[in-house]
Amino acid sequence: MRRRTFVKAMLAAPLCGLLAQGCSSLTDRAKRGRLTTAASSDMTTMDMAHNESVYWAQLNIFDRLFETRMVDDKATVINSLCANYSRSDDGLTYDFALREGVRFSNGDPLTSSDVRYSFSRLLTEAAVNTDIPLQIRGGKALMEKQAAELEGFRITDDTHFSIVLNAPNGGFIAQLSSAAMSIVNERVTREATNFGMDPAETIGSGPYYVAEWVPNDHFTLRYNEHYWGDEPTVKESVQRIIPDASTRDLMFRNGEIDLIDLSNIDTLIVQRSYKTEHADQIVYNQQVGMTYLALNETNEFLKDVRVRKAICMAIDVDDIVNNLMSGDAIRQNGIIPTGIWGHNENLGAAPFDPDGARALLAEAGYHDGDVSFELALSGDGPKLLYEAISNQLSKIGVDAHIRVYDKAAWLDKRRSGQIEAFLATWFMDYNDPANIMDVFFGGSKQVKNRSICYPDTDVMARISDAKSILDDEERREEYRRLERKLVVEDRAWIPLYEQARLFCRGERVERFTPFWAGYGDFYVKDVVLRKEAQT
Amino acid sequence: MSGSLVHNLVRRLAYAFISIVGVAALVFVLLRMVPGNPVATLLGEHADNETVERISSSLGLDQPLPVQFANYVLGALHGDFGESYTLGKPVSELIGPAFLNTLWLAIAAALVAWVVGIACGLLAAIRKGTVVDRLFMGFSLLGVSLPVFMVAMLLQYLFARYLHWLPVAGITDWTGYILPAIALGWGSAGSIARLVRSSVIEVLQQDYIDTARAKGRTNTQVLVLHALRNAMLPVITLMAMQFSGLLSGAVITETIFSINGIGRLSVQAIAGRDIPLLQGTTLLCTFVIVMGNLVADLLYNVCDPRVRKGA
Repeated sequence: MRRRTFVKAMLAAPLCGLLAQGCSSLTDRAKRGRLTTAASSDMTTMDMAHNESVYWAQLNIFDRLFETRMVDDKATVINSLCANYSRSDDGLTYDFALREGVRFSNGDPLTSSDVRYSFSRLLTEAAVNTDIPLQIRGGKALMEKQAAELEGFRITDDTHFSIVLNAPNGGFIAQLSSAAMSIVNERVTREATNFGMDPAETIGSGPYYVAEWVPNDHFTLRYNEHYWGDEPTVKESVQRIIPDASTRDLMFRNGEIDLIDLSNIDTLIVQRSYKTEHADQIVYNQQVGMTYLALNETNEFLKDVRVRKAICMAIDVDDIVNNLMSGDAIRQNGIIPTGIWGHNENLGAAPFDPDGARALLAEAGYHDGDVSFELALSGDGPKLLYEAISNQLSKIGVDAHIRVYDKAAWLDKRRSGQIEAFLATWFMDYNDPANIMDVFFGGSKQVKNRSICYPDTDVMARISDAKSILDDEERREEYRRLERKLVVEDRAWIPLYEQARLFCRGERVERFTPFWAGYGDFYVKDVVLRKEAQT
Repeated sequence: MSGSLVHNLVRRLAYAFISIVGVAALVFVLLRMVPGNPVATLLGEHADNETVERISSSLGLDQPLPVQFANYVLGALHGDFGESYTLGKPVSELIGPAFLNTLWLAIAAALVAWVVGIACGLLAAIRKGTVVDRLFMGFSLLGVSLPVFMVAMLLQYLFARYLHWLPVAGITDWTGYILPAIALGWGSAGSIARLVRSSVIEVLQQDYIDTARAKGRTNTQVLVLHALRNAMLPVITLMAMQFSGLLSGAVITETIFSINGIGRLSVQAIAGRDIPLLQGTTLLCTFVIVMGNLVADLLYNVCDPRVRKGA
């Protein structure tokens, strides 16, 4: 009898322990003011001089002179740390006044010197995100260590400074709103031995500071009491690193995470479960970026504009948008994506006309199977899209055979201008057409770097010069003319779609506004918790 | 310690050292033979050729291969395995905590495997041919046959989603180890149970078991002191090898349950072409497996006098 009791006690003990643990976990989860989210992978560093792909930390710990925010459903550049600014008539000099009384999370005041240090540091580190500060006079000399200071950055006093550019740039203010241009604490960063990795040494003036970072496990942000803006409802944010998509899905359903990014969740689950069971909790956000087909004009077939036109006519973009993307995408007809200043809504869609495409190929002297090229797929690329495009092209007798490359090999091959054709998506960093037009077609180096190898140097020179047009209307028109030339006349770029990013709010989240460009990263302050989850 | 045992140990240690050095050299060369610049993956879409070249140079990737290897070996001898490209931290700093997580998971999974496996195997052997035998062997067959990811997902749905007893994933306290340990240990438990069963059945047919019974030993004494002890020799080898396998990382389990262990770190290193991190994790796994085999051999020496005496 005594033995039986002992056995029962032995069995009951761990069970009670588990239940107690379960209860305490529930209490933890219900912790007030906390937002728990999950990401599939961790960031490399919080340092913008060494990271240009994950902006979670940058958006939440640091501020910039300007921010791009959604205003009346339109991405708009608004003042942030900058109280006001003026531009000289020649477009070369900008005078800035900083917002008064801004402090970093450690209590230090934010001054003009911090801004200069932040911009200069991108150049002295000479790693990534150098393109914007390089436009400042003396930027190149600083990066090449021929100068000790950034010549074009002139400080008047603690809250006033001027920036002199090498050449006028109509999109400069928009560029200053990109995450790369975050402002760091000069004093702490100069003394830091591990800036970007050690939370104590990574100080910004944003709404949150980093309370804890356990790489590959979780990242905790806590409200910065010195923050100059409105107090957010989320006082603590824990981002857990959960690589497996189905585990993230299960955690959301279990209430262990409050907000889920549905982009990597199985499409069937999203369609049949989230869009039905949680329809009113879904938050749609257009990813301001372009999925496109690039054709290398050094290829013996693809250099013929008739072949490129035929390829364009053989692709049923609407079918891809409606079926492959389940309608969660917008068809694109140009280069400047929907949501970006300068986007041309009147640029007509290329007709889907397989018979016309065959006729065009025949006119160019090609018959079934004559045109053959490699569609190079990076290991992490959109395999289904490749298969759909390859299949559609086969119907007009074009053999676009898919070859899978390791990502590093794919990038190397593309940078050397050797990929024959590929599909990719370009996400915008700032709200200006230069962020895509100039990156892809701004010069011979750019077109080779992207394996497009577009040959028209006059068009490329005009694209490069368009940045310098200071009159917004004139600049927009020039970009539109160039876009029409590239897409309609030359078929140098085959636009496909702009994808939507879907999030699902948990019960504790009342409202959520995703980042304007549709990244998975967002401003935590744009999450509004329900009252009962706040206090 | 007898002379033959010492001789055996020295010989095994020498082999282990050669294996580790050989694997290190092989991994170093192979990783650099694969086409594609790892910096390209690190910097992603936005970087241009100049930036890639500048960063490659700062990481020493533009140096001749022998120079890179010499630098790596010199660093490794001082405990410096380089800095991870993707996580921006010294490899040794990343591997340490990850290995600790994997170690705890391996111990928990091994406990599940050993306790369940030995108990089921023994009971099945005693009740050979009965319902109990069939039930336990069916259970062990299921463990061996079911893929880990399926077991993991079933456990998550049952204990986390519906019963709410345990967390879905992540290690915040000891309860976080329960589901991954069961998912990972079940397969090993199945193998152990089957081996224990067949070994015990074989041993129970030996003459010395009859002798023990004739001496008046109880059934339990015969089973535990004579049958199980002798039946455990092949099981110990399997257990040691399974444990070293568990220590070298359980990629699927660690990924599904979001455990920052060696397996997940290795996969991350492969995906990001993070050469220093991949070299570090591979070297560690090699070390663990080589040492696991060494320990198994030594245990064999200790447990079986015939092996010890070189019979």
